[in-house]
Order: sequence, then C-alpha cells, then structure tokens
Amino acid sequence: MSLYVYCLGDELSEGAFEGTTGVGGAPVRLLSLGRLSAAVSDTGEESVAVTEENLLAHNRVNAAALAGSTPLPFRFGTRAAPERLAEYAASNEAALAEALARVRGRVEMGVKLMSKAEGEGREAEGKSEDAAVGRGTAFLLKKRREVLGGEAAKLRAEALAAWLAEGVAGLARESSVRFSPSEAIVVRAAHLVERERVEEYRRRLRGLRAARPDLRLLASGPWPPYSFGEVGR
Amino acid sequence: MFDEKLEIDEDEELSLLETLDHVIDHGLVIAGEVTIAVAGVDLIFLGLNVLLGSVETVERVLGERERRVELLLGQVSRTAFASVSGAKDTHAAQAGEGE
Repeated sequence: MSLYVYCLGDELSEGAFEGTTGVGGAPVRLLSLGRLSAAVSDTGEESVAVTEENLLAHNRVNAAALAGSTPLPFRFGTRAAPERLAEYAASNEAALAEALARVRGRVEMGVKLMSKAEGEGREAEGKSEDAAVGRGTAFLLKKRREVLGGEAAKLRAEALAAWLAEGVAGLARESSVRFSPSEAIVVRAAHLVERERVEEYRRRLRGLRAARPDLRLLASGPWPPYSFGEVGR
Repeated sequence: MFDEKLEIDEDEELSLLETLDHVIDHGLVIAGEVTIAVAGVDLIFLGLNVLLGSVETVERVLGERERRVELLLGQVSRTAFASVSGAKDTHAAQAGEGE
C-alpha cells in the first residue's frame, strides 16, 4: 500500500482536516510517527495525476494544517509506503525537529519583483543604433549590448534584492532569495515571518510598492513554509 | 492563499501559478519517492515547463490589470473634468493617489 504525503508536524490535529479533501478527492488522515505525525491520503498503488485539481488539493491540505500550526510541507507528488515514511521520520528525527522549531509560529510570505519597461527600452535603443550601420557592425553592437546589459542587469537585480531585504528588515526572520537578472521576474524572495507580524509585513510591502512605481511587486501568502523546511535533500 | 489585501487579486490563473511555483519546486522530499510522471515525462521537466510558461502569464495578467486601472483612472479624470470644469488636473492627481 502507498500513501500520498502532504506534510509532517508535531502539533497536527485530526480536526484540522475535517471537510478537507486531498488529491483525487481522497480523505485526509493523520498517521502517527512517534513524536511526529503526517497528514496523508490512502492512494493505493495508483500514481497521482499532475492536474490543477491535485496541485491545489496538495496546497489546500497544507493550508488547512497551517491554520492550526506550522507544518513541514512535502513537495507535490510525494508517495511512500507507511514503513518507508516511518523510517524517514525516524532517521531524520533530529533534523526534522530542528526544522519544525525553525518554522514554529511563522509563515512563509512570497515576493516577486518584475521590471515594467526594462526590455522594451533596450530593444528600442538597439534598433535605432542598428539602423545607422552595416550588418557586421550591427552584429557587434548587439553583442556589446548583450555583454554590457548582462552585467548591468546583474547589478540591478542585486540592488533590487538589497532594496527588498532592507524594506522587510526586522520582519523577515529568514529569507530565501533567487536572482534571475536576464528573466522577466528578476527577484523571487520567500520570507519567514512571525504570524502576528504578517499585517505589519503587508503594510511594509505596500510602502515599498508605492515607492517604486517602475516595478511590479507581486506579493503572496501566507504559505506553509515550502522554502524553509527542506531536510536531507 | 493569494494575498488579497495586498494584490486585490481576483485572478485565479495567477493564484494557481503561485501555488505551482511553491508546491512543485519546494518542500520535503523522501529520497527516491517522488515517482510521478505524465506520459513518461518526469514531473521535474513538466514543472520546469510550467514555471517557464508562468513568467509570461504573470506578466500578461499584471499588464492587463494595469491597463484596467489606467482605463479606470482615465474614466475618473474624464468624469471629474465633465462635472467640475477647469479642475481636471486636481481630480486626476487625487484619483492617482487613491490607487
């Protein structure tokens, strides 16, 4: 028999999942693993399809857990036999306890930063430059713009991340930040925030957004701590 | 799950993409136990495709929202101009601050 696993915790209660359906419409139950417990669904040997419904169901169960206490969410698609899950919990006991202590009383908030018109500006500038020269020179100018643009984009992404970090200083107990200077979403940040300070965090982000109308600031949360609970990966 | 207070986000598509971004790429993993595949394509590859596609969708959805806001602001300022002749700039500025 195989279980679909949503999350682990040391304060999970069966009542948290009442009325919440899991992947494939399956009921959710708690499986005791010593000091820990796991929210699971019995899925038999069938694999779980990657559908919008199932992706949302995975998060829905984790969100239900988060309403009571902060769990350690599993990645979507995790299935394991009960004995394998018990073995995982036992062999990672110390690391899991540490991870739970790290996220206790906290939630994950997400921020994505996008520039509004960066690409369009560079494109227009390039076309006007290329129009005045031959094809060979235009090729070299294009390469030059790519090199200079790449360096400038990297510096700009770092500056944006620093600006964001400063903006949420004192509220983000931990941060997980990824830069993608050459992509549309330049900075992806996850912040671990105390539950009682979420409103304050939101106010801070509203201030940041108002200060930089040249950026798109996409905020989301509260999430279970997907970005802060990884153990033994 | 999406932050309504911050984003005023009625957009289900964007909300789904944010969920995807979280549940596919992060979380606890039991070694060797993520076995999902669709038509022989590993979930990781599927996830990458979804995430790559999501950037364009996020941009498109946000762009559309901005255009709606601009349109709304335009309507507000035109109404202000029609109702209070000669006071267009003041009203337009106030509408802008309100957003």
